Amino acid sequence: MTPELGRSDRAAAVRAAARSWRRAGIIDAAALAAVENGFPDDRVRVGPVFRALLFVFTLVGVSGALGFVAAGMGGGRGGALAVLALVAGIALLALTEFQVGALRRRQGGIEAATSLMGIALLLAAAAWFLYEAEHLGRAPSVPALCVLAAALAGAAAWRWGYPLYAAVGAAAALAALAHLPAGRIVWIALPLAAAPALLRLSESPRLPPAHRSSAMAVLLVALAGLYLAVHVGSWDQQIVERIGGRPSWSTLVAPPGVPPAPADTGLLWWSAVAATALLPILLLAAALKRRRLPLLLAGAVAAVASLATLRHYLHLEPIWLVLTLAGALWIAVVFGLWRYLESGPGAERDGFTADPLLTDRGRQGALEIGAAVLTLQPGARSPGEAHPFEGGGGRSGGAGATGDF
Amino acid sequence: MNPEVVQAIPALVESGVLPPAAAPRLLRIARGELVSVHAELRALLYAGVLLLTAGVGLLVRQNLDRIGPVAIAAGLGLAAAAALVWVTRVAPPFSWQEVASPNLAFDYILLLGILLVAADLAYCEAELGLLGTHRSWHLLIVAALAGAAAFRFDSRVVFSLALSSYAAWRGVSLADAGAAVASAAGAWRWNAIACGILFAGLGLGLARAGRKAHFEPVAVHLGCLLALGGIAAGMQDPAWGAALLLAGGALAAVAYRTRRFPLFAYGVVAAYVGLTRLLAEMSHDVALGCLWIGASSAMVIAGLLAVHRRMKEPA
Repeated sequence: MTPELGRSDRAAAVRAAARSWRRAGIIDAAALAAVENGFPDDRVRVGPVFRALLFVFTLVGVSGALGFVAAGMGGGRGGALAVLALVAGIALLALTEFQVGALRRRQGGIEAATSLMGIALLLAAAAWFLYEAEHLGRAPSVPALCVLAAALAGAAAWRWGYPLYAAVGAAAALAALAHLPAGRIVWIALPLAAAPALLRLSESPRLPPAHRSSAMAVLLVALAGLYLAVHVGSWDQQIVERIGGRPSWSTLVAPPGVPPAPADTGLLWWSAVAATALLPILLLAAALKRRRLPLLLAGAVAAVASLATLRHYLHLEPIWLVLTLAGALWIAVVFGLWRYLESGPGAERDGFTADPLLTDRGRQGALEIGAAVLTLQPGARSPGEAHPFEGGGGRSGGAGATGDF
Repeated sequence: MNPEVVQAIPALVESGVLPPAAAPRLLRIARGELVSVHAELRALLYAGVLLLTAGVGLLVRQNLDRIGPVAIAAGLGLAAAAALVWVTRVAPPFSWQEVASPNLAFDYILLLGILLVAADLAYCEAELGLLGTHRSWHLLIVAALAGAAAFRFDSRVVFSLALSSYAAWRGVSLADAGAAVASAAGAWRWNAIACGILFAGLGLGLARAGRKAHFEPVAVHLGCLLALGGIAAGMQDPAWGAALLLAGGALAAVAYRTRRFPLFAYGVVAAYVGLTRLLAEMSHDVALGCLWIGASSAMVIAGLLAVHRRMKEPA
């Protein structure tokens, strides 16, 4: 990321904070204008809706143009298509650099789409060269592609400040490392070693906001990898080894037609059980200590996954009772947390509050309604039929009985 | 953590832009010393409501014989009553204007109560045949109940449930839209269009009357999605492609004038899909199709950039 782009992002962070102060009624319109003048925007930006439209139409347009050129080349020749993908990929990445640099675009949709297409096309070209031209086969090609994906996504995250690419790059790096003989151990050791540094980077004032977010994104992916590596279900199913392209040993030794036995029930298995239970707790404790919401959410997700694992291994039945009790307990815990935070001095406890503070309530409300519209879809009656009762609870507990109740 | 804001606040206080009294709290927030979990608690609450109602759904289905209809119906009724009594106790007085939620949990406990009532009603109807041959009318009753509760307790989430329940009564669900498009079902199409127009009209009516005007976006967005989805469901026939082009274009034009950015996006996408469908009818040549997609997308991008200069959506 150029220093100029970094400065631009830092100014954008202050303007965003000022807008949240304005929404909360802390400053008036004149003060907001003063902040915006003091921290001016030197970038060409568009709003979220236009950004999404420009992103989608750029993807569609580039795909159409490439399809036209490919059709003109006669279609089916793999080598020519790979060269086309290589040339187009390089051109699109150069176009991205031109937009972010000379055209000073940021949050514009188009440059995000060209960067995504550029990376995808370079990977497609590399995949063809490895598989078809070099006849390398899956075993050496997949890790090589993962390394290339990690490098490209990491470079894009660093150069243009896209945290999503940082996350994808980290995931690709983990997938490449899974191909090492001790892949699972690397998945455990590397996140543990890198987590403190990544956490510090995610808070470092020396880094621009996009790079801090990228560090947090890499940390979250690394923690997900760590959880997957120590998870008892992943141990039993040899998931890391499967990602690494190695068949699990249990499927190798199991006779045909016989379901594979669990990987182990010895010390390592019990260690995985303990780690499955402990890691969410440690994550939540670290998140509470550092007051980092992304870590808190990661810990909460890991805790839910561990509880689901517990239900699976203990064969807790019936499922309706588990769901109902879990839902009721869940609501009770949220209620309890809310009451606990509300009753603290100044409606806060240990730096946490249930008050919205500077939350954009309009955007939050829109998201909640969007989620409700998407998830609360009662099963529609079929035209011309009396619509018999069907139980279920399948689609998120919609209002009607049909299909859901 | 927001080091830039931490650095900026003292200078903003010094220059008189920021009130000195507000600075300490804002500094705490920027330093990450004070963190709001408001949105996270609401999201967790919603997840809990979904989990519980999913469990209740399974309970009803799997235990019809074992537990017995009276026990199930009474249990659901009691749970729903408990939720709704709590809501009624803490609810602020009715107003046609927007009413601030009395607390973080209010909306979702109300939603839970309505969903449990819906489950109970559906169960009783199925077991006792309360509605005779009009069994699907329980969806209409749920829509009416949810609508009344949404207005009384000022809940847009429950209002969206009322609308989707009504649409389900008419045989339309967004969840079935993909299948409906694939099967080109005529009844689904017309019902979706009718529901869409009705919802959009309801939303505009509320806004015009100044009564629960903040419900308007929910009704208009759902209405536009249903209407456009209904028209798109007929696109195997090119005439419906033309209809989608016209409807999308009209929506984009109206949204442009009223600066409704998401509606503008629906309109642009719908018009583009409709136009592409019409052109696909004229030529089946793949290269020409690709050329059209590439060239037309470039034109749309140029048009969007030009329109953005006038609409100025905040970044």
